[in-house]
Amino acid sequence: MSSHREAPEISKDPVADSSDLYAFVSPDDPDTVTIIANYVPLQLPASGPNFFEFGDDVLYEIHVDSNGDGRPDLTYQFRFRTELRNNRTFLYNTGQIKSLDDKNWNRRQFFSVTKVDKHGKHTVLHSKLPCPPCNVGKISIPDYEKLAEDAVHKLKTGEKVFAGQRADAFFVDLGAIFDLGTLRPFQDKHLIGKTLFKGPGKAVNATDQLNVHSIAIQLPLSAVRKDGKKSVRGRDPGAVIGVWTTASRRQVEVRQGDKKNADVEVGPQVQVSRLGNPLFNEVIVPMAQKDLWNSLPPTEDKRFAEFVEQPELAALLPVLYPGLFDNLAKLNKAKTPRADLLAILLTGIPDGIIDNFQNFTGETQADMLRLNTVVPPSKEPNAFGILGGDLAGFPNGRRIEDDVVSISLRAIAGVTVPLVDEKFKPDAAAALVEQGLSAKNLTSKPLKKFPFLGTPFDGFDNPS
Amino acid sequence: MSRVHYGTRAVSRFSRRRVLTIAGAVGVGAATAGVAGLSLAGETSSSNDSAPLVISLRDAKKGTFDVFSGESKVTLTDKKLAARLLKAVKRA
Repeated sequence: MSSHREAPEISKDPVADSSDLYAFVSPDDPDTVTIIANYVPLQLPASGPNFFEFGDDVLYEIHVDSNGDGRPDLTYQFRFRTELRNNRTFLYNTGQIKSLDDKNWNRRQFFSVTKVDKHGKHTVLHSKLPCPPCNVGKISIPDYEKLAEDAVHKLKTGEKVFAGQRADAFFVDLGAIFDLGTLRPFQDKHLIGKTLFKGPGKAVNATDQLNVHSIAIQLPLSAVRKDGKKSVRGRDPGAVIGVWTTASRRQVEVRQGDKKNADVEVGPQVQVSRLGNPLFNEVIVPMAQKDLWNSLPPTEDKRFAEFVEQPELAALLPVLYPGLFDNLAKLNKAKTPRADLLAILLTGIPDGIIDNFQNFTGETQADMLRLNTVVPPSKEPNAFGILGGDLAGFPNGRRIEDDVVSISLRAIAGVTVPLVDEKFKPDAAAALVEQGLSAKNLTSKPLKKFPFLGTPFDGFDNPS
Repeated sequence: MSRVHYGTRAVSRFSRRRVLTIAGAVGVGAATAGVAGLSLAGETSSSNDSAPLVISLRDAKKGTFDVFSGESKVTLTDKKLAARLLKAVKRA
């Protein structure tokens, strides 16, 4: 998965677990950037009476680096608070919920938004904004879309924010991929699969009909660019931003048992979750270091560069698919550092490698989702992003429709090596490899406007 | 974990009473002086006298304490206090 269960410790703490991060120039307002950080992954919609929510004891943050040093120049902090209307009922709602302040809605959640500038100055932009309810079902919530629209808030400082449940838009054939690297379209070519299957299989989207909790913010491009420039050339380093999200918990927690309201959470915030590029911690970082990676800032990512230079998955592909990745096998054998992957994941792609494009942030190796903010949104997005000739897609930021699993597979399989080594000829299979899914497979279609992620699946009909 | 708030104010029977508890596990976490905060995660004011304070004896031999208050952590050394705590939990 992108980052749904990417590390041992955080997989046991889903409330603080970031699962996907998106950053793109907004197609509904091209003078702005939209950043979406998903948390609380793999939500079964029918989860009453205690439906999913953000952690009141978790600090959620979205960071933007404007000058390429891997440190935040702008951070938005989101803190949550849950309120009960009625402490004599076991129900989430005691009647239909028709508005965000409906008296029938018993357990509501609110959030604050704090902006932290590059000097560390904290400004609370709003102290109490309502989240929408979870999508209980059509009996309880007759018009969910209306409630969700009401939960999009425009702040006086210009930002648009939303925090609440949405449909998970990530698509991945999880069951096959983590069953010894099987890609169902190529299952009959797999080392073991060829003994089981006579032909290709149809991919299964393992995250379909599941929800997440999303924190989304839309803000002017000038607010995220270095020196606040409204206009900048695409080649200018100031056109590129790096984005990542983190979740933190207090260092100390003392539980008081039956005296629940006397529980103590105190001390510095300790980072427990981080996400920049999809799949970085999931498939690049060894399991023994995944929890460590989650606790570190991007400035420490040079520690993990060796795993990008020689990714484990690149070594596995020729073994799992015999005869299909011979050129990759030779590259692996020569122990040639993967400068293409180092650029894509840790520094950005320098100017002059891809026509009319760069998202280079300098020599500091840091896992951030890098976005050249000058590239306008595509009218017809290509799911393969830059590999498909669409400069507005991953790895230039990340859009909802980008097939980051297949893009990453193709890159690791060698299709991006010629960017740094013209003599290398990728295997034919490298340009064909894919998981066999696309955003078209999403049951809940993404919206064309903020917050873009589709209506969460309701508990009445899902699972069906 | 999360505190749930009723209405617009937290229910806290201990909000103005300072409690000192010596925890059993010296070296893991030692003493708490606690009340429930009314604020959102991470917004507890450390200047509030009734705000939680947690003391952890990190190294009993050296008498190294970590004192957690608000969003900060202060490290101090007090061998005598460490010895008293060890005695209290019958480790001395």
